[in-house]
Amino acid sequence: MIHLEQVRKSYRQGEREVLACAVERLDIARGEQVALVGRSGTGKTTLLHILAGILRPDQGTVEVVGRRLDRLSEAARDRHRGRHIGMVYQTFNLLQPFTALENVLLGALFGRGAGGDAPQRAEALLAKVGLGERMHHRPSELSVGQVQRVAICRALINDPELVLMDEPLGNQDRATGSQVLGDLLQMAADSGKTVVMVTHDPDSATRMQRTVDLAELRPAAAVGGAR
Amino acid sequence: MRLGSISLRNLRIRLVATVLTTTSIVVATALYAGILTMAEQTERRYKGSIGGYQAVVGPKDASQLELVLNTIFNVGEAPGRLPLSVCTELRSGKLLGRRSQVRHAVPQARGDSVSRFNFPVVATLDEMFTKYEWNKAPLPFAAGAPFAHSYDDLLQLANQLAAHETARRTGATEVPPRPLIRPEWRQCVVGSRVARALELSLGSTITPVHGKMGEFGYHEHPEAACAVVGILAPTNSPLDTTIFLPLGLHYLIDGHEAGVFLVQIPPGKNPDDAKHLPVDAARLALTAVLVDPKDHFGARILRMEYADKEAQVAWPQDVVPKFLKQIGNAADALAVIAWLVLLVAAVSITVAIYNTMNERRREIAIMRSLGARRAQILGIVVGEAALISALGAVLGVVLCHGAAFACRALVEDLTGVYLDWTAVAWWELWLVLGVTAIGAVAGLLPAIKGSRTEVADNLSLNY
Repeated sequence: MIHLEQVRKSYRQGEREVLACAVERLDIARGEQVALVGRSGTGKTTLLHILAGILRPDQGTVEVVGRRLDRLSEAARDRHRGRHIGMVYQTFNLLQPFTALENVLLGALFGRGAGGDAPQRAEALLAKVGLGERMHHRPSELSVGQVQRVAICRALINDPELVLMDEPLGNQDRATGSQVLGDLLQMAADSGKTVVMVTHDPDSATRMQRTVDLAELRPAAAVGGAR
Repeated sequence: MRLGSISLRNLRIRLVATVLTTTSIVVATALYAGILTMAEQTERRYKGSIGGYQAVVGPKDASQLELVLNTIFNVGEAPGRLPLSVCTELRSGKLLGRRSQVRHAVPQARGDSVSRFNFPVVATLDEMFTKYEWNKAPLPFAAGAPFAHSYDDLLQLANQLAAHETARRTGATEVPPRPLIRPEWRQCVVGSRVARALELSLGSTITPVHGKMGEFGYHEHPEAACAVVGILAPTNSPLDTTIFLPLGLHYLIDGHEAGVFLVQIPPGKNPDDAKHLPVDAARLALTAVLVDPKDHFGARILRMEYADKEAQVAWPQDVVPKFLKQIGNAADALAVIAWLVLLVAAVSITVAIYNTMNERRREIAIMRSLGARRAQILGIVVGEAALISALGAVLGVVLCHGAAFACRALVEDLTGVYLDWTAVAWWELWLVLGVTAIGAVAGLLPAIKGSRTEVADNLSLNY
């Protein structure tokens, strides 16, 4: 499902080049649930963006859901992301002017398309996470836990093979977040989805099948800060 | 959900900016549409009047444009008068010493109007309806038929009136009686808009008035009340607003006595003495004669050789294009202004949307993270500009029609052009599409800026 080799991504900061992420090798199998952990600055979010195709590495091989993202154009990576990858962010990143249902449909619009049975699928997903009565509410009218569930529904609307999560519990109380995370992992497991979660939270990490410390993936020669 | 619904939602979020920007587009489009409407309907009005005549013979002291506008298009007041003898000479076919240069010549006299709508009254002969044409066919009647009033009737009346007036003015002991209005002259034919506005049908009675209601000198002529015997079909021409009376009735209206004849003041006489001078039947006063030369040769003779110390020939086919060209030039100048207003409106779209791009970086980054391509972001933003423009353009065209409805009476009074506010032209569709396209182009700059939004950098922004 995921194969990374000799991946390196740096940023320029004035005259200085800052290494943001370096991965010697990383393989994740289909259906696996993996936690990416590491100290701040080890490049967890950068790696997640590379896996999503939002960023292209300066060098190395990035193969995700059967495509070499390092060789694809930006538009092709966007299309690939929309169809095969679902993403959940720490801040959930819902669009405020749109209702819960519309936010979920946005995921469909830029993925496999918002026509056909997409509205029914979106409604079914929201109902499944307990938001059947709240689907026409805007994010500002929902609790943090409900917003998180909408974000998860949006990530799953295209039935992606891969779900990427960036600190999905970072903005809420542990009990609620933990329950929602549990639900998501169960849904992913039921449909054989691969889940990669960046987290600082050891408890969340232990709920995944495998934990990968980014510091351990770095080549010995890699130096410099990251974000 | 579609990209268009995202554009629409973005416009609703920034409602005030959207309304202001749309308003500027509405104004620009309405201005441009109004100019085009006015120019088009003016041209249609002035090109599509009655046919069956080629020339207007009228008083010499008027400008040719005045003469044509008043005689053919009911604009302004009659610019002067000419004697009946001019018409008689034209009709005789011997005016230039040759025969048959003129197919027909129909006299007109104007001066009164009817009702608060100021529909002009044209006194003429029944030939007006038999000799002249609309769209190469006799003038169309929606109901009824023309009144009966021949040139011989007119000559007979002129002689009787002249005898009466001469005796009266010169203080003769025996004054022949003033001719009475014949019952068959108490008839009129009205245009379609007159009939509609005054709710006239066959047999209805109308009373001519002199002057404008509420103004000094305004009075009715109940003695000249006449029955409607014919209603013309709609032609969107000056015919629609005209009331045609028999000339005989016109000359016998009370108070017209003083001006019925043109009196030549002999040398040494004071103009005040005119009312005591004898009058000549041949100098019965007309305001114009519509003339149709028999052939090209006749037209050429009339154009090159016609000379009368009191009359001149005006050729509508020469005068009207010059007039329309002047209007066209003015319309072109106004159109340039309208385009400039539209340009400013387009720039305002650019500025309004461009200014939102910074605050929309996160929203765009989120959509990109969901798989939106740069082209889709471009489409959303351009769509917003196009939606504003399309809405503004449609409202602008609607406003133009509304303004035409509201101002049609005023415009008709001032220019003689009846604005048909219900007429929808193909160019309106092109105008809407054109303005939409201009708006879309105006949205390109902010759209490009939006599509270049860095995804990774902006996803973590918190507002």
